[in-house]
Amino acid sequence: MARGFGDLEAVVMDRLWECDGATTVREVFEDLLRDREIAYTTVMSTMDNLHRKGWLSRERDGKAYRYWPSMTREQYGAALMREALDAGGRSDRVLAHFLEQISAEDSAALRKVLGRVGPVRVRSGKGAR
Amino acid sequence: MSVAVCLLLYAAVVCVIAPRLLPPLTRRGSAPGAAIAVWLIVLTSVLASWAAAAAALVVYVARTWTRPDPLALRACFAAWRSAAAGQHGVGTQIGLWALTLVVGAFTVTLAARVGRSLLRARASSRRHARSAHIVGRRVAGVDGLVLDAPQKMAYCLGGRPETIVVTSAAIATLEPAHLDAVLAHERAHLAGRHHLLLAVTRALAASLPRIRLFTVAETEIARLLEMCADDTAARRHGTAVLLAAILALAGADPIPSPALGANTVGVCARVARLADPDTAAARVRARLLLAAVTAVVVFGPFAVWAGVHGFTPHGLTPHNPLPCGPFTA
Repeated sequence: MARGFGDLEAVVMDRLWECDGATTVREVFEDLLRDREIAYTTVMSTMDNLHRKGWLSRERDGKAYRYWPSMTREQYGAALMREALDAGGRSDRVLAHFLEQISAEDSAALRKVLGRVGPVRVRSGKGAR
Repeated sequence: MSVAVCLLLYAAVVCVIAPRLLPPLTRRGSAPGAAIAVWLIVLTSVLASWAAAAAALVVYVARTWTRPDPLALRACFAAWRSAAAGQHGVGTQIGLWALTLVVGAFTVTLAARVGRSLLRARASSRRHARSAHIVGRRVAGVDGLVLDAPQKMAYCLGGRPETIVVTSAAIATLEPAHLDAVLAHERAHLAGRHHLLLAVTRALAASLPRIRLFTVAETEIARLLEMCADDTAARRHGTAVLLAAILALAGADPIPSPALGANTVGVCARVARLADPDTAAARVRARLLLAAVTAVVVFGPFAVWAGVHGFTPHGLTPHNPLPCGPFTA
């Protein structure tokens, strides 16, 4: 999952989450310029998009805007987790969970199943099917 | 005997029988791929029957509609005469129009609802994936996005961008080999385009919550898709590793989840079939059984139709004077 140009939004958010306080487009642009060839206007429109989508808040400071993340990375992560957990139910998101969240009793039931079928008969590496 | 009515009856019979007959056959997961195929054939045959019945009815009504002076007095008298003569009566005709209206409206509404639900699901999944790409961290050695969260979870989102998300808690729990097996399972979902199937079955179940066939099909197909992905991951990384990964992630979560459901049955079945695999003979038997069910579902109606057709004189008879539309078969 290499980061291509399309992931510029993610790169910009990374930088803004890492630095404290508000930042201007110029500062982000100069920071990014160390790693890659990029146009100032690209950074500006990316940050404007992020603002429009609610990821960044901004405030006018003289001629430029100063941007900062609307929420911390942890807060966004928690919100995503809530969405993902909810998706098992009536939500219209299509997720394929590796395992649904299961409770302690369920987990015990699972171990009982494993006890019932006896010691695991597997041919490691080769696979069963 | 009318083709449209036959199709509707056939669909109704399948809707009643399939959700009772199929789950015991497919639950064990002996041949998950074949089982999914059978479920899809059953769903498709019901949907196709509805669409074909609606089309047949509309064509029939349209043909009778465009006859000369259909609404004029003469036609009325003619209809009365034919009713009196024991032919198609006005009542039958009105009943047919009503049936056409109902079946047509049902089909159109269903298509619209499913379409809307699919679009909503796609938009919502995309939004979630975009957010995950921004919030998730890239960690060396993990082919997926890592989300800092206390729940042990791994999931994937199809469509563009294809996304696999693993939580930091899951990574902390799993050994590297186990994590690879989990990621292989998720990649199998994406490579198999399982999300498309899930989206369609989920949209159908949400659009027709009262018809058990669709709700049962949704849960069964979701479970079978997990088994398919398990098989792919087990082939790659070994059954023991995959089992260990499932058990590691299934350990009681420190965070009580509000989203608990009846999914444990599915997890238990997955573990049971991985731990105690079927013999080759059992798998062949399961496939044969599924093939037999498919043959009955698909060819049964043709056989009945051919039988009925064979015994009815074809063409014009005094009782069957309308050589048009689907009602002469």
